[in-house]
Amino acid sequence: MPESTQIHDALGAFDKTTSRWGRITMIIGLFFSLAAPTYLVFFSGLDIEISGILTAFAALAAVFGVIWIVEPLTYYPILGASSMYQAFMIGNISNKLLPAAMIAQSTIGVKPGTRKGELASVAAICGAAAVHLTSLFIFVGLLGTWLVSVIPADIVQTVQLYILPTVMGAVLIQAIVSQKSPRAAVIALVVSLIVVFVLSPLSPKMALFSTAIAVISTAVLAWVLRDRQSTDVAERAEDETPPEGPVY
Amino acid sequence: MYLAAAVDNNSTDILAVANSPFLWACAIGVFLVIIIQSVIYMKAAQVAAPHIGMTHQEIKTSFRAGAISALGPSLAVVMVAIALLTVFGTPAVLVRIGLIGSVSYETAAAAIAANSAGAELGGPTYTQAVFGLALAAMSLGGAMWMIATLILTPLLKRGDSALRKVNPAIMLVVPGAAMVGAFMVLGLGELPKSWIHVVAFGSSALIMTVLMIIAKRVDRPWIKEWALGIAIILSLVITHLATRA
Repeated sequence: MPESTQIHDALGAFDKTTSRWGRITMIIGLFFSLAAPTYLVFFSGLDIEISGILTAFAALAAVFGVIWIVEPLTYYPILGASSMYQAFMIGNISNKLLPAAMIAQSTIGVKPGTRKGELASVAAICGAAAVHLTSLFIFVGLLGTWLVSVIPADIVQTVQLYILPTVMGAVLIQAIVSQKSPRAAVIALVVSLIVVFVLSPLSPKMALFSTAIAVISTAVLAWVLRDRQSTDVAERAEDETPPEGPVY
Repeated sequence: MYLAAAVDNNSTDILAVANSPFLWACAIGVFLVIIIQSVIYMKAAQVAAPHIGMTHQEIKTSFRAGAISALGPSLAVVMVAIALLTVFGTPAVLVRIGLIGSVSYETAAAAIAANSAGAELGGPTYTQAVFGLALAAMSLGGAMWMIATLILTPLLKRGDSALRKVNPAIMLVVPGAAMVGAFMVLGLGELPKSWIHVVAFGSSALIMTVLMIIAKRVDRPWIKEWALGIAIILSLVITHLATRA
């Protein structure tokens, strides 16, 4: 049928354009995001050792390595190939891009998983990106920079000194709630208490990789001690529920 | 050059480095790339739409629906980003927290990097050199997500069977546990530092818990969206009052 060939060609062209330019733009975005630290390390006059960066990266990989790979795998069935290159550059996927795509699909009455649904979600993500870039530019880029310049020095000092515990307190609760796995939370609590209050004080070298030790132990224990029944059930129910919480 | 005079490895005036023109240029570069990508995608969607029985109006409506629904979440991200401006500087906050990354992973990455150099995020050991290291670690970490996307997407599209065979139970348990473990140990690690750290961590966790309970009770999704920003700003206020006590 000539009509179906035409549809096929049109969608083929769409797939080709989006996957080609999606990749090219993402690689350029990657370049810009790495150019900033490259400049600081090599050209700014700051004394930052490469070996120090490798150590930091190793510590980071031990903590987040699994998530680097699992998140793209998780989002692919929900986003589809073309939107993957949008989503992982724009960020805030679960709390902004997925809702935007779903609302657009229901507004024009198309189903997710269909080709119409895919086009609707691509357009919706573009719309979300437009709003997000504008609000970031105005409120953070312009207004925020001015705001920081007028904030009294003692408040700036409080923020710098205590930002980590403040962010982690809220983020931790958010992560526990979104994971809906009290068992993993308890394991993480016990492991972290041991690492922070028993292992770390023993030697400063221990403190260096304490995060990695805690994360790997938590992941392994959570797997070994998992609730086999509920993970099997969750496995089957998984299809429809997109992950929520602090994800990229 | 302006920057050359401001650079000092041991200075804790990190904004002198963090707001340098080069970092601004990189941030604007990321903005432009996303704009160009969106334009290309919109055009491709407009061209393909009529062939599958969609009107241009439907594409426009989708764009508008996406834009409107992103307003709330976007402003919620803005609120969190502003709280971190004095720690990472505007360009790094725009790129790492506003765009590619998210506040939770990027702050954790920066803290892990600082710890690996025997320093702490914020505070007297958070020098310009440590900021440089933290930004390098955040950027490399974020790059890994993008590289994974670039490699895995074509493989998944081809329907690579090896990837589909990854045990779904592992996918369900391990990443979630790793995430909770990371935030737990980084959070608890703050507690021995001082009683004010305890106040900061405790108040933030408590406010978040209350907001989560309220969100569930009254079934208002916007509370969940704004919870992180509200918890961070409120607990910073409480912590600031505690420092003056």
